[in-house]
Amino acid sequence: METRHLRLQGMSCAACANTIEQSIQGVPGVSQCNVNFAAGQARVQYDPQRTDLKLIQEAVSQAGYTAQAIQEVSAEQGDVEKAAREAEQRELMQKVIVGAVVSGLLILGMLPSMTGLVLSWIPAWLHNSWVQLALTTPVQVWCGQVFFVKGWKAFKHHAADMNTLVALGTGAAFLYSLAVTLYSGILGLLGRPADVYDVYYESAAVIITLILLGRLLENRARGRTSEAIRQLMGLQAKTARVIRAGEEIDAPLEDVMVGDVVVVRPGEKIPVDGDVVDGASTVDESMVTGESMPVKKQVGDEVIGATLNKTGSFKFRASRIGKDTMLAQIVKLVQDAQGSKAPIQKLADQVTGWFVPVVIAIAIATFVIWFNIRGNLTLAMLTTVGVLIIACPCALGLATPTSIMVGTGKGAENGILIKGAESLELAHKLQTIVLDKTGTLTEGKPTVNHYATVRGTAHSNEIKLLRLAAAVERKSEHPLAEAVVQYAQAQGADFPLPEVENFEAAAGMGVQGTVSDRRVQIGTQRWMDTLGIDTTALQSQREAWEAAANSTAWIAVDGQIEGLLGIADALKPSSIEAVKALQKMNLEVVMLTGDNRQTADAIAREAGIKRVFAEVRPAQKSAQLKYLQLEGKTVAMVGDGINDSPALAQADVGIAIGTGTDVAIAASDITLISGDLRGIVTAIQLSQATMRNIRQNLFFAFIYNVAGIPIAAGILYPFLGWLLNPMIAGAAMAFSSVSVVTNALRLRDFRPRV
Amino acid sequence: MLTSRKVLNYVLNLGFLLSIAVSAAAGAQALEPAQGQPRPFPPIERPLLLKLGVTLGGLGLIGLELWWFQFRKTEAKPAKLREGIQEIGVTVDGGYEPNRIVVQAGQPVRLNFFRKDPSSCLEKVLLPDFHRSADLLLNGTTSVEFTPQQPGTYSFHCGMNMVRGVLVVQ
Repeated sequence: METRHLRLQGMSCAACANTIEQSIQGVPGVSQCNVNFAAGQARVQYDPQRTDLKLIQEAVSQAGYTAQAIQEVSAEQGDVEKAAREAEQRELMQKVIVGAVVSGLLILGMLPSMTGLVLSWIPAWLHNSWVQLALTTPVQVWCGQVFFVKGWKAFKHHAADMNTLVALGTGAAFLYSLAVTLYSGILGLLGRPADVYDVYYESAAVIITLILLGRLLENRARGRTSEAIRQLMGLQAKTARVIRAGEEIDAPLEDVMVGDVVVVRPGEKIPVDGDVVDGASTVDESMVTGESMPVKKQVGDEVIGATLNKTGSFKFRASRIGKDTMLAQIVKLVQDAQGSKAPIQKLADQVTGWFVPVVIAIAIATFVIWFNIRGNLTLAMLTTVGVLIIACPCALGLATPTSIMVGTGKGAENGILIKGAESLELAHKLQTIVLDKTGTLTEGKPTVNHYATVRGTAHSNEIKLLRLAAAVERKSEHPLAEAVVQYAQAQGADFPLPEVENFEAAAGMGVQGTVSDRRVQIGTQRWMDTLGIDTTALQSQREAWEAAANSTAWIAVDGQIEGLLGIADALKPSSIEAVKALQKMNLEVVMLTGDNRQTADAIAREAGIKRVFAEVRPAQKSAQLKYLQLEGKTVAMVGDGINDSPALAQADVGIAIGTGTDVAIAASDITLISGDLRGIVTAIQLSQATMRNIRQNLFFAFIYNVAGIPIAAGILYPFLGWLLNPMIAGAAMAFSSVSVVTNALRLRDFRPRV
Repeated sequence: MLTSRKVLNYVLNLGFLLSIAVSAAAGAQALEPAQGQPRPFPPIERPLLLKLGVTLGGLGLIGLELWWFQFRKTEAKPAKLREGIQEIGVTVDGGYEPNRIVVQAGQPVRLNFFRKDPSSCLEKVLLPDFHRSADLLLNGTTSVEFTPQQPGTYSFHCGMNMVRGVLVVQ
């Protein structure tokens, strides 16, 4: 039995759901089918022996709807890949061991003639070329099979790759030796001296073994480059405790539908995204947002699938499942980013396109030249093999993508989603960072910053007054009112708040009501003036707070002024630190806001920002950025991604902050999942580290090939008598691609420094 | 488990370095003439005709090889339009078959990759111009969807850019 989910299109009512359900159930082999109208999904259980998804999809389309299979982000798929990778590694390992044993014997046999020493302990038959042929053939045919099979397949596709080179190189050495063996054999039969030419069986065997060993190491290392994605996928819970018909049942994750109520106990993983409907807890979201502090969750708050519930139990209603969950979106985004190409790779791409055919041409030319100037067939053959073997297109091809893979994965680990390699490359060239004020530098919602009372703090007067004020404000829907209630709670006012009678709101002025027979009025200076209430007592505070970009509200009780509140959208605690860190990296930090100049200047002063664009209407934001770009600067715009979309798009690098919403991700190049501005610093540092890593890789890969190929071709032989043994070429080649991957893996040690 | 993996890794790396050292030593000795022995590759006089033949043969091979790999294009295969999506299956087995695909601009394209080749080289397919990458299921179909806007020639390739295919957008 197989269970798959289909995304349905064309449903307009719940009746359609029935129609689809019936049409799917009509397909022979389908044992169960549930259609969820709200989610637009169907869950189908079927016998893969008797039917398949295509037939089911056809049945749906005959009913007049379309069904698409949902490709789930599953840990299982990761497991399958892992198993496949391990099987490949096991096979490589066996071949390496066989190759190594044979190579050891062959080298042992060659030792006396190589060194000219008398080594009587080595049996003479090991030097016999027929024995060597017998030993090498299995290595060439079995261990080296992959090079020939793959090389041939590529050849048929008019393509040439590393396999082509290794197949040609080892094939040439083997066939040459075979020809020499046969020729000597014939001479021997004719009774003439047979030992005319040397054989090079050991070269073929050693090269194949070394390259397979290099491949094995590279394979193991490369498995680790996409570890970040696999770890993300592995975060997903396997089951969920869902309430069905009033009972809690453990259901596999695939069975959870949108709208299901899910129960989460302390220490458990939250299975899918949703909104808390009952209970409260703290949740560790670090694996998704990079934010290390656990986050409080209560009724109405969003929870993210794959995060870890810490302290309390709660119930939540599933809102996003399958590939719509935040985790699935992150995985997809990172995968897509890994599929993008950094501009720096262009040159390497152009080179790899021509590389192998050109190397083959160089190898043939090497043969022709040596044959013409020295006439020595062995010399010509050895240099040709050397050129074919030492050339390493893999190092060039691997240089950029592996670093990008590790870099983007590392970003996701730190709550930084990078949309493409282009952005990752551009981020290290940034000169100016433009920060939006509201919601980016600041919390995005007003909080009470200042509070003063006329009577001071005797007999907990200030708490009692705050409780009265909060009681009245709770009736109001003004955003400032919520700030007052929250402040009262934070300051320790007794809850529940007392009842309010005769509540009344004066638009743009304030609110009033009667609490415990006392008349409480909260409002602006203008309102107090109209009411004829004397406000001289705290007037100097009011002026000072307003100068610091606070809104103020007076509290009057029974017609007497009692207190004053200063309310403002406060800076995030991390903002000052982030601005400082950015400035320390020699980046110009600019603030952009629609607020008035006074408020803007006050916030900028507090955050340590010198350049401010205030009173900029949303539509003008992108024009402001263009203006900065005209100054010749590479500019990043940091905003919430919803109001700032045009500006984010205009910027060289658009950074959306604090949300994983689709809009933000669509408009931005980089998304910081947590609202912490220090993520910008981390993103830039990651970009710098990745680019440094790519440059090292490319430099190494280019230099290696540019220097290695001529040396292997014997360019130094006429001057210094240096000739590269093909076996060394094989070792160098195996080493070069391993070292590129290993260098890219060093990026995994990247740690943000703020 | 973890420690045994580490040990294995360590042994492998050590073995790798050792084998490099051994083969380097063996190679160096093989090509350095031992004392009293003649240089290993004495010049041999060859008839001019043979030299000419080898030269021409070599040049011919170079030309043939460059033509085969670089200038001979495989036949392009158009994607089929099904329910508004241009769809085509691509078999991944040592290369992409077909490796030259023709699609129309402005319409969504779905490439269904069927991977037969177990080699990890081919486990990823990248379409950098469309910001797409996919891990290909072994012996299974993995679809990649995107909409090309501009006509032109785009490439898709494996993780190392060694195996390539071309997407011609008209």
